Amino acid sequence: MHDIFVLAEHRQGELREVTLEMMTLAGQLAEQSGGKVTAVLLGSGVDEFAQKCAQYADRVLYVDDPIFENFNAMAYVPALAQLIEEQKPHLVLIAHTTQGVDVAPALAVELDAPFTTEIIEMSLEGEKPAATRQYYGGKINGRIEFKDSDVYLVTVREAAVPAGEATKSGEVQKVENPLKGEAGGRRFLEYVEAAVGEVDITQSEKLVSVGRGIKEEKNVPLMEELAKVLGADLSGSRAAVDAGWLPTDRQVGISGKTVKPKLYLAVGISGAFQHVTGIKGADVVVAINKDPNAPIFQYADYGIVDDLFKVVPALTEKLKEVK
Amino acid sequence: MNIVVLVKQVPDTSDPETEVIIDSTGRGIDESKLSFVINDADNYAVEEAVRLKEKHGGEITLVCLGRESANQVIRMALAKGADSAIRLDDEKFSYSDPITTAKILKTALDGLDYDLVLTGCMASDDGYTAIGVALAKMLGLPHAAMVKSVEVIGDNKMKIGRELEGGLMEMNEVDMPCLLTIQTGINEPRYASFKGIREASRKEIKVMDLAATGLSEEEVGEAGSKAVMAQYSVPEVGELAEILEGDASETSAKLAEILKEKGLV
Amino acid sequence: MYVETQKLEQKMTPEEVSFVEKYDLLGCIQCGKCTGGCPVTTRSDLNIRRFVYDCLQDHLEELSKKPEIWDCTTCNTCAIRCPKGLDPFEVLLGLRSFEVEEGNVQPTVRDALESIFNNGNPWGKPRAKRCDWMQDIEGVEKVKIANPGEKVDVLVHICCTACYDPRIIPLAKNLVRVLEKAGVDYGFIGEAESDCGSEVRRLGEEGLFEMLVEDNTELFGSYDFDRLVCISPHCYNTFKNEYSDLITKPVMHYSQLVAELIEDKKLVPSGELEGKVVYHDPCYLGKKNNVFDEPRYILGQIPGLELLEFRRSRERSLCCEGGGGKMWVESESKQERLAEVRMSDAKQMGANIVAVACPFCLLTLEDAMKVKGFEEEMRVADILELLGEIL
Repeated sequence: MHDIFVLAEHRQGELREVTLEMMTLAGQLAEQSGGKVTAVLLGSGVDEFAQKCAQYADRVLYVDDPIFENFNAMAYVPALAQLIEEQKPHLVLIAHTTQGVDVAPALAVELDAPFTTEIIEMSLEGEKPAATRQYYGGKINGRIEFKDSDVYLVTVREAAVPAGEATKSGEVQKVENPLKGEAGGRRFLEYVEAAVGEVDITQSEKLVSVGRGIKEEKNVPLMEELAKVLGADLSGSRAAVDAGWLPTDRQVGISGKTVKPKLYLAVGISGAFQHVTGIKGADVVVAINKDPNAPIFQYADYGIVDDLFKVVPALTEKLKEVK
Repeated sequence: MNIVVLVKQVPDTSDPETEVIIDSTGRGIDESKLSFVINDADNYAVEEAVRLKEKHGGEITLVCLGRESANQVIRMALAKGADSAIRLDDEKFSYSDPITTAKILKTALDGLDYDLVLTGCMASDDGYTAIGVALAKMLGLPHAAMVKSVEVIGDNKMKIGRELEGGLMEMNEVDMPCLLTIQTGINEPRYASFKGIREASRKEIKVMDLAATGLSEEEVGEAGSKAVMAQYSVPEVGELAEILEGDASETSAKLAEILKEKGLV
Repeated sequence: MYVETQKLEQKMTPEEVSFVEKYDLLGCIQCGKCTGGCPVTTRSDLNIRRFVYDCLQDHLEELSKKPEIWDCTTCNTCAIRCPKGLDPFEVLLGLRSFEVEEGNVQPTVRDALESIFNNGNPWGKPRAKRCDWMQDIEGVEKVKIANPGEKVDVLVHICCTACYDPRIIPLAKNLVRVLEKAGVDYGFIGEAESDCGSEVRRLGEEGLFEMLVEDNTELFGSYDFDRLVCISPHCYNTFKNEYSDLITKPVMHYSQLVAELIEDKKLVPSGELEGKVVYHDPCYLGKKNNVFDEPRYILGQIPGLELLEFRRSRERSLCCEGGGGKMWVESESKQERLAEVRMSDAKQMGANIVAVACPFCLLTLEDAMKVKGFEEEMRVADILELLGEIL
C-alpha cells in the first residue's frame, strides 16, 4: 500500500513536537489504509532525531548533508520534490509552521499535487483524503475535497492531533542527497534571538496575559497589579504587542513565545489559534472575556464571561484576601 | 527598484463580536453586515514597499484579485505611494484554491518588470498562507515566507529576517528578483488620507478578466482547482470551560477560591 | 503692518497665503490672552500665541512636525478670550492636516480614522452592531426607528461612543426612556447612521470630514423631522455649526430638549436623589455653544439634589481633555491630567456626584476619579443617567 510521508521539523538541535504529532496522525491514517508511515528527515549529523522518528514511523528516510544543517526552503523544496517523485508516497504531511509554510506551497506547485494548508482533521475515504481546516480566524470550518491524484500534500496545524506513544521501531535508511549543487538564490546567515527583557516568559510559572480587550496602554497597570498579586509575569497576545502595550519578548503565540506556565490567565484575549498554540503547554488556563463565543473558552479550564474592567479589579482584591 | 505588491480585500472579522454567518449555498458567507478592509498582512507589505521605494526609487504596481469593491483597498494603497494597479476580476475565478489563485495572479505579473514581489504572509479570511510561496515557484523566483525585516544589501541582494516560532529571527540572504511574504508588525503602516485616496482615484486601475489572463475556463475557479472548499460548517464547540456564574464580585471570589485550592495563589 | 504683508506675500507660496487667510492670522495682535488662558499649558509646551505668530512667518511644514500641536483639546478657551474674535486653536487643526495628508499620524489616530471610513465609527466596530444597544431597555419594548419620509418631531443622532462603549450605552438607553416617558414623537436613524465628523475634523482629516458632511447631509435630508437631537455636545456642535447651512432644521443637545420637556411638564422628575452634585460644563456645550443653563435647570429639578458650582465654571470651565481628538492621542506629559485636577476640585467641595452632559467628559472624569481613588466618596454620572435613576 501507499506511503504517508511526514517531513520532520527540527531547528537548532531540537526535533520539534509537531513532527511527533504528524507521525501520530499519519499512523492513524495508515492504519485505515493499510499504508506505512515514512518520516523524511533532512539534516546534518542529526542521527539522534532519526532514531526518535523511527519510534513513530515504519521507516525513516534520512538525508545527512551539511547543506541541511540549517533550514533553507530553497534547498528543501527541490530535495523533497525529488524524493517524493522517486518514492511516490500517497500523502505528504508538512507542519503548518514557519518552516512548513516556506516549503509546502512551492512543493505543491513543483509536484502539481492537490494541496491545502493548516488542516485540523483528516480522513481517508478509500484512498482519497478529505480534510477540515478553519476560515475567518477559526470562526467557521471548511471541508476540503481533493481531486484524484497520485500524491496529495497538506500542512497540518500544530497541536491539532496530540502526539501519541512511541510504538514503532522503523528502519532508518540513509539516502543520498537528491539535491545537486546549491540552494537556489537564498543563503542562511544566522539566527538572531529576540531581545530578552528582564523576564523570560517561557520560564514563567504563572502568566497574566493580556489582549486587545484591555483596549488601551493605560490599562496595562491594572493588569500588572493583578499579576503582582498572583506572583505572575505579564505577557500578551500579538495584538497587545503590536499595539506597543508590551515589549516584543512578552508575546505569546505562534509568532511569539510558547509558554508552559502552571497558570495562564488570559484577560481580554479572544483566543485566535495563533495565540492558543503558544499556550498548549499551560496547566490551568483561565479566560476572562466579555464575548461568550470567544474561542479562548474552548481552551480554557475556567472562564468568566464579563467585562474585564469589572472582573480584574474585583479579582485582584479577592486574591489579596485569600492569600 | 520596481516592486509588485499583491493585495487582497477581506471582510473585517477581527472584532471578536463579529459573527461569520454561512450563507445558503454553504460555500460562502453572508457579507451584508460586514465591512471590507485591506488584508492586515498585505497592509504591512504595502508599507514596506513604499518605504523601499522612498529609499531606493522605482515604481510600485499593485496586483489584486477581487471584485470592483476591492478598488477601495487599491486606492488606499495607491494613496500611500503605489503607482499603478492591476485588478483581476472575473466571476469564473470564484472558488479557486490557493494554487489556482497563484496561477491567476501570475498572469498579471507576466508582463511586468520587477525586482521584488511582496505580499502579506497570510490572508485573514481564508488563512491559507500559501499564495505568495506558490507564486514564487511559478515565477521561478527565490522566496522567503514570514519576513519581518528587509534590507537591500549591495546589488541585487537582500538581507531578510524570517520570524520563527519563539520570536527567533532566521536571517537569510536572498538574490533579487525574489518574492517575500511579509509578516505583520514589520513596520507601522501609514495613514492614507481621504484626500490622498481621492487623488489616487486618478491613477489607473487596469482590470483583467479571464480572457485577458489567457487562461481557459477549465484552468480557473473550481474547475481548475484540485483542493476546493466544498462546505462550510460551524465548528463544534470543544470541551468548554467551566464558566463561573454571577456578577464580577461573585465570579472573582469563585476564581480566587479555585486558584487557592490548586495552590496557584 | 502693510509692508510686512507685502513681504509675506512675496515670500509665500499660494498655499501658505491661503493658510494665513483661512485662519485670519493677520488679524492677530499677539496680545497673548490665548496662551494666558490655555488650560493645557500646565502639561504641554503648547504656546498658541507663538504658533499663530510662527505660522505668519513661514515653515508651516516644520511647525506641523511639532508634537505639541496634538496637545490642544480644542476647548475653545482661547477663542473666547481673543479680543479680535479669532479662533486661534484652529491654526493647530490646519497644521495637523498637513501631517494627516502625509500619513504621519499615530497608529491610534490612523485606526480611528480608518474605522470611520470603513465602519462609520471610530471604535473599530462593525456597522451591523451599531444598534445592538437598543436591546433590554427598562420599560421600553422597542426603540422607534424613523422611516425616511415619515414625519417625526425629534430625529435622534446617537454618538458613536454611545452606540458601542458599554460605559456610555446607558446614556442612549436612558434617553430612550426619557423620550418614551415624555411621549415625544421621536425616531432613531439606525444602522445607516455614521460618525458626525467632529473628531475627524479636529484630528486634521479635512477630506474625510467633507465626505462625512456630504453623506450625513444626504442621510438627514431623507428624513422628515422638526429637530435633530444629539447625545454628545461634539456631534451637536458639529451638526449645528460646521455643516454650514446644510442642515436646515434646528439642532439641539439632549439637555435642551429635556429642559423643555420638564418645563412643559411633559417630564416630571418624580423620584429622589440624595447628595451634592456639581455640574461640569462640557466645552462643546458651554464654551462653544453657550448652553449653560439647561443642564443646571434639569439638575435643579431633580428632588433631593443640592447643586454646587465649581469655582471654574461656565465660560471658565476647566476642560477634561476628552475633545479635540484627544481620545486617540495620548499626551506625553507626566503632569497631572486636567480631569484629575477637576476631580480633586470636586472632592474638595464635598461633591458626591460630578454630573456631566457629554460622553467624553464622562469617560475622562470617571477615569480620573479612579486614578485618584475617589470611588468611595463620589461618582461621575451623565445627567441622562441621573434622570434614569428617578424615572
